[in-house]
Amino acid sequence: MAFQFALQRRANTSFLRSSLTFSGGLLLGLLLCVALLIQAGVPADMLFDDLVWQVFFQADGLAQTLTLSIPLILAGLSAALALRVKFWNIGIEGQLWLGAIAAMAVSIYGVGSDSYRWALMLVAAMAGGTLWIAVPLWLKERFHASELVVTLLLSNVAFQLMLHLLFGAWRDPTQSFPISPAISEPERLLKLGFGNLHTGLFASIGMVFLVMWIMERSRLGFQSRILGSNRQVAEASGIAVGTTLVVMVLLSGAMAGLAGGLLVAGTEYRLTQHLGWNMTFSGIVIAFIARFRPFWVLPVAVVLAGVYNAGATLKVFYGLTEATVLLMQGIVLLSLLWCQFIAAFSIDRRQEVSV
Amino acid sequence: MSKANFKTLHLRGLCKRFGECTVLENAGFELHSGEVHALLGENGAGKSTLMNLLTGVYVPDQGEIVLDGQPCSIRKPADAMAHGIGMVHQHYRLVERFSVAENLVLAADRAPELQRLSVAAKALQETAEQLGLALDPYARVADLSVAERQRAEICKVLALGAHILILDEPTAVLTDTESESLLAAIQRMANAGKGVILITHKLREVVAHSDRVTILRQGRAVASNLATESLTQADIAQLMMGDVAVSQRQPSNLQTNGPDLLVATGLSASRNDGSTAISNIGIRLRRGEIVGVAGVGGHGQPQLCEALMGLLPIDSGSIQLDGFQISQCSVSQRRSYGLRYIPADRATNALALDLPVSDNLALTKVASGSKGRFWISRKGLFQDAQNTITEHRIAGASPQGLTRLLSGGNAQKLVLARELDNDCVVAITHSPTRGLDVKSCGTVHTALRELTSRGGAVLLISEDLEEIMTLSDRILVMNTGCITGELPGTASASEIGALMIGGH
Amino acid sequence: MSFISFWFASIPVSALPLLLACLGLILSERSGVVNLGAEGYMAVGAMSGASVTLLTGSPWLGVGAGVLAGCCLGLLFAFSVAVLKADQILSGLAVMAIGLGLSGFIGRHWVHQPFNGMTAPDLPGLQQLPLLGGLLFKQPLLAWVSILLVIVIAWTLHRTRIGLRFTAVGEDPAAADNAGISVPGVQMLAGMLCGALCGLGGAYLSVASAHIWVDNMVAGRGWIALALVVFARWRPGRALIGALLFGAVDMLLPRLQAQGLQVPVYLMGMLPYLLTILVLVLATRSRYRDEPAALGVTYLRQDRH
Repeated sequence: MAFQFALQRRANTSFLRSSLTFSGGLLLGLLLCVALLIQAGVPADMLFDDLVWQVFFQADGLAQTLTLSIPLILAGLSAALALRVKFWNIGIEGQLWLGAIAAMAVSIYGVGSDSYRWALMLVAAMAGGTLWIAVPLWLKERFHASELVVTLLLSNVAFQLMLHLLFGAWRDPTQSFPISPAISEPERLLKLGFGNLHTGLFASIGMVFLVMWIMERSRLGFQSRILGSNRQVAEASGIAVGTTLVVMVLLSGAMAGLAGGLLVAGTEYRLTQHLGWNMTFSGIVIAFIARFRPFWVLPVAVVLAGVYNAGATLKVFYGLTEATVLLMQGIVLLSLLWCQFIAAFSIDRRQEVSV
Repeated sequence: MSKANFKTLHLRGLCKRFGECTVLENAGFELHSGEVHALLGENGAGKSTLMNLLTGVYVPDQGEIVLDGQPCSIRKPADAMAHGIGMVHQHYRLVERFSVAENLVLAADRAPELQRLSVAAKALQETAEQLGLALDPYARVADLSVAERQRAEICKVLALGAHILILDEPTAVLTDTESESLLAAIQRMANAGKGVILITHKLREVVAHSDRVTILRQGRAVASNLATESLTQADIAQLMMGDVAVSQRQPSNLQTNGPDLLVATGLSASRNDGSTAISNIGIRLRRGEIVGVAGVGGHGQPQLCEALMGLLPIDSGSIQLDGFQISQCSVSQRRSYGLRYIPADRATNALALDLPVSDNLALTKVASGSKGRFWISRKGLFQDAQNTITEHRIAGASPQGLTRLLSGGNAQKLVLARELDNDCVVAITHSPTRGLDVKSCGTVHTALRELTSRGGAVLLISEDLEEIMTLSDRILVMNTGCITGELPGTASASEIGALMIGGH
Repeated sequence: MSFISFWFASIPVSALPLLLACLGLILSERSGVVNLGAEGYMAVGAMSGASVTLLTGSPWLGVGAGVLAGCCLGLLFAFSVAVLKADQILSGLAVMAIGLGLSGFIGRHWVHQPFNGMTAPDLPGLQQLPLLGGLLFKQPLLAWVSILLVIVIAWTLHRTRIGLRFTAVGEDPAAADNAGISVPGVQMLAGMLCGALCGLGGAYLSVASAHIWVDNMVAGRGWIALALVVFARWRPGRALIGALLFGAVDMLLPRLQAQGLQVPVYLMGMLPYLLTILVLVLATRSRYRDEPAALGVTYLRQDRH
């Protein structure tokens, strides 16, 4: 070989280089998606109409997009919170399901009075999600058990629990499908008179600003930033590492749980086994594209919700399944990851000194 | 030991730069068959880099490696092995899960006969016998002691056919008896025609066991291929450290019999693996003084810092700060009493490089809650950071800019500005000038002096003897986790050196 | 009696796809790479297996296509982590999504079309043996191939130099590099084999057991396989035991239900997962780690000091 290559980690990457590689990766991923759709038979001139106009600029479409975005925003926040302190939460779905179960339990057992039960449901949902992430957190800190595997396993446990309830005690006897009875009228979140959009949207947006406030303005957020960036430095400077980690991770679970609660109280009005699929992956994709900034989670989640919404159109008109949306997310994420190589490494190419 | 031995190895004019930092400049030496060649230098002098070039971890920017008159190109560790160059690193390259023989099989890429476990085991056994070492080839590496692992690694490298063997501080982790048997084995290797490059800090070993010596300082070879016969330990120490001009000394201008600020007695602590890191250390630090702790690296210095800061739990002993008992206090409590820490490795232990300068400046204040109990004002942080940057003249820094972009000297200024604040009573500093240029060193030294003149005290732990001698009012000497002696600040290099070598 | 023999006979249907995926993941993790793509490899494996069987009529070609598809996707992941040094977890998730997505996207043409897949060879007499007849002799040939693979992989990992290399890379990449082993090379190979084995597991689902391809056919098996690796403590032999255990529980529950027994099937369904968590916690306390020491670590020679 006349040349030899050596990979060097870049000591510092200029802002220009990192932003160019990031937007380049995003653009490349999106172009691949467009090519994929055209190849699948979506006419090129309909792409804009289906993917942008219908879902963001038409009242019906926009309402549906915003409704879909509610849990996605929270999943994105959940991923961003946990990853901020380098905690791999691969069980957002599990926490979401537990949140949904907790909310449904409040409704089924009629806790509190009708007038404020919806609030109790949401609080219970957050508590459920928190509980479900507390276990892997404890196992990680106490036994150094990988949170990656434990969060994943607990998702399966949560799903089994949900099936247990849906096929058993909570099954609506009047239905042939295993679904719970619907929650009563006063327990439902108010509709905004814009499609199916409900007040849960405000809860999600509120959480974005709350998390933003915590991350950017609070002492805890500052500490979590140091902890995520360099744990040794955090310890040496006297930061309460344990408290910071616990609060951020529990908040992550609470966000996922709330997503489940809002799906039950605002969208589905009942517990079904089809709630929240792919939320872990979508949450991580959203957080990653948003560069783990809570504020950017909001627009990214809405865009992704639009894509999910458009996915329904694609299904009806072009016979493309929901899997297409997942495929597009995967392509964009992988293309972003690959392009980061250009930002993180330089390749030394040198002529061989001797032959 | 199958291959024919080599005759000479020449390293000529080797240079290596990382970014703007030149770690090796025009360094080289020669090695003959049958020779033990000592390679000396302080930490950061470029010994490891030079050996990394020889073993293919790095590729030189300039210069050549010539073996028996043939320039050879070493691009990766396997190339080095193919040329018969083997290295025994400080961190042994043995897979712990495997037996010693399996480790040889794993590495026997170019020696198909060694790919059978039984043959490999036999080869190891034979090699060990030739060197007069005991070795069980079927023992699992995880179950071996440090000395046994080292033997295993040496035998592995030799069994693979190395005729040039690099040993990186082989005796640093050994007891006296173990060291003696290893040094005897090294002698046998040389007698069998191998070439041995011995990296060590122990000057006694150099004088007693090496034929020639090469000394690196700040990336340059200040002496190459000197015959050891004609040298004393003092000569070598002199060459390693350069001229320590006594006129440079900056003695403290305060009375140094002030009240005690930091008193540590009987301090013992263990590393994570259970081995003793420091034992029975006593330190007294009085108001207004700088106490230097001299000693070669790897003798428990970082653990001493961590034990004092509360980052490493202590097994026994007590620590008092300004009259308060702090042995059981958390890091943040210790900091609230005025204890500060400037660790040796800025990049991993003092600064979060991927965060803005303002964050790194505010770190400890936010942790203590003095920037706000719950909420932090970003603007306030930026403003404070801007003030600090101006006041301490941290060049190239802006509050929002990434810390990673600062040069070494300016990054250290940032650490100093943060740690040596107005509430600082005692600063524990570990090699605070490592890797800095002369001007930045001056800044660091001034800042430490300034702290003592306003009534604080500094514990200066350093492997740089020159620095210790320039700054310290009293000098403690550390060796294998213990304080082996105390000297006045006016002590000479040879006095300190004697204590550093002493005990071993 | 017939209840038990029917139950036994149905275990491999659930256990073997898991086993194959788990074997692939063991290879990957042994070489130090966390591979979250398994679900995706299995999905493309199942889809390609079904579609090629439908196109050619040959189940064996279908299985080959499943293996090839998984292998290609595995290569995509391995390239990402071993060469481009991208984050293993994020890359794994991306590839998982691409695999699931591609299987739905390309597979939409072949969905819900039954075909003549692989069936058990006719072994009269043996198949009627009490209890074990169905378990052992009413299985397609691929089942035996799977068991053979366990033996081959276990032997290779524990008894050959190639196995030594895999383990060395996952334990201590610096030592392996020093011994002249190409760390990215081994990880690429492991990634491809992992994809191929998961693809085979997926093809088993469609070609050898269901004889049809439907969306979401893999239904989380890739994730379970990932947990099974921990349960098996990174050993192929134990993976076989673990997979059979999972399969037994998995198939017992619907059978009990069919018998009209009132058992909390879904609560029992949690057991394997809770048991795995327990194994994981216990494993962290044992003296010898089972987990590869450098699992999840991105190795770059120039990084070391």
